[in-house]
Amino acid sequence: MLIPPRNFAAELSFPIPTPAAVSEKPCEIECEVISLFDQFRHPLLRYVLSFGLSVHDAEEVAQEVFLALFRHLQRGKSRRNLRGWIFRVAHNLALKQRAANKKLHAALDDDATVVQAKLDATPNPEEQMTSGQTLQRLRTVLRALPEQDRCCLALRAEGLRYREIAATLGISLGSVSFSLTRSLARLGSAEKGLRYGR
Amino acid sequence: MADEELHVSDQDLLHAADGELPGGRTRRVRAHLAACWFCRTRLAELEATIADFVRVHRSTLDPQLPCAAGPRALLKSRLAHAATQSGVARWPKFLQFFFPRGSVAYVAVALLFLTMGSLPIIQHFALLSSSPLHPIESAAVPNRTLTPGATRPVSINDVCSIAHEEVVREVPAALRQQVLHEYGIAYARAQDYEIDFLIAPRLGGAEDIHNLWPEPYTLPTWNAHVKDALEEHLHQMVCQGSLDLRAAQRDISTDWIAAYKKYFHTERPLATSAAGEFDPADPAPENHGVISRARIDTAGQFVRPRRQIASYALAGT
Ligand SMILES: [Zn+2]
Repeated sequence: MLIPPRNFAAELSFPIPTPAAVSEKPCEIECEVISLFDQFRHPLLRYVLSFGLSVHDAEEVAQEVFLALFRHLQRGKSRRNLRGWIFRVAHNLALKQRAANKKLHAALDDDATVVQAKLDATPNPEEQMTSGQTLQRLRTVLRALPEQDRCCLALRAEGLRYREIAATLGISLGSVSFSLTRSLARLGSAEKGLRYGR
Repeated sequence: MADEELHVSDQDLLHAADGELPGGRTRRVRAHLAACWFCRTRLAELEATIADFVRVHRSTLDPQLPCAAGPRALLKSRLAHAATQSGVARWPKFLQFFFPRGSVAYVAVALLFLTMGSLPIIQHFALLSSSPLHPIESAAVPNRTLTPGATRPVSINDVCSIAHEEVVREVPAALRQQVLHEYGIAYARAQDYEIDFLIAPRLGGAEDIHNLWPEPYTLPTWNAHVKDALEEHLHQMVCQGSLDLRAAQRDISTDWIAAYKKYFHTERPLATSAAGEFDPADPAPENHGVISRARIDTAGQFVRPRRQIASYALAGT
């Protein structure tokens, strides 16, 4: 049996005069945000998880991102490059959350070991069959990369263009391009080294 | 012929693969690639590295991704809340333009509402507007105007199959701040209160400002642990079919202390309910889920500080 929603504050509801500037109906924006959520939740979670956050924290960051997006759209702000906007807010929130966690757990455990454990995740059977060794090697190289390089790779892997990555991380287009080139060269040479037994 | 110096640089190779080459260079690089097996092999290797990276990226993170249904529903309800919230918030702000600060403004607002004949609204806004000056002392029972209770659409099945994690669901920092503000509780004193659900989530209560109130930690008799016991008791009764869910919601939102007396047939909290491991003197409030200070980031968002106790796990985890 389905209980219909009931708001005990219903008697408080009354038509609220809205300024003329707010032309759009919130419902439309809500639907838009939900559809963007459907589209970007996985990329966003992957990106946030790559900071070593827990799934729970990542999920909460994602919620905050889309709530912020709702307010952003509600205020009639620019719709240009929403994907870049979403990742930029997620990036900032992820950093904040990680800093808060570090502070909280400073005395308890070392955050780095948590990140390490995540990146050392057991390879799945398919991986082991194909080129488990290569992927394992790549993980090691990735772990050694500077964080900004890892962010560039992760954002590019989620489909962001160079200028979007630059805007997300607050760095120049040239830095993005340089970072990606350097990281891929390192990953590539690690693979080659493995291939030729170096 | 492909001279060593004339080979495509690593950067251009990547730009070519990524479609990021500046217009003028595209044709030149393409022409070189068509002519040069060496650079084409480098391009293929680069693509292979990219593919391997993506596999690592995905295989490490994808297994951790929880199912979307729970978070999606949660976002929907938060959006619905934000939509109503912004409507209410915008109105006083709009008036502040004409009446910048001071009690005169609030009197004016009250008069305006009087002429509109909406008495409950006056009370609501009078309470809201007085909050910075006269904190509304919260007690064991919430202010009914501010916190009348709100429910979400749930079936009996939903309520009775609710996970334990959902029972101890945590209120987002931004919403907690709103509740404290509404009750006029100074930021500095926020640590003395728990933001509690009037109608518990396990009884179909909504995460809505109308269903949340600051419950002092230091109450001797009718405290959060006693209310917890009532919630659990009502939840069991509802799931056993001996109590209607709507009746449970109504009774707990009307006066939960009266409901406790009614359903436990007692005038005082039972010993087992009042006893709790909670210690109000605990200097680390995070340890028992008290409000921890919210921080505001550059995007103007509250960031919920992580707590020691795992709070709610979203569906699918
Ligand atoms: Zn060449």
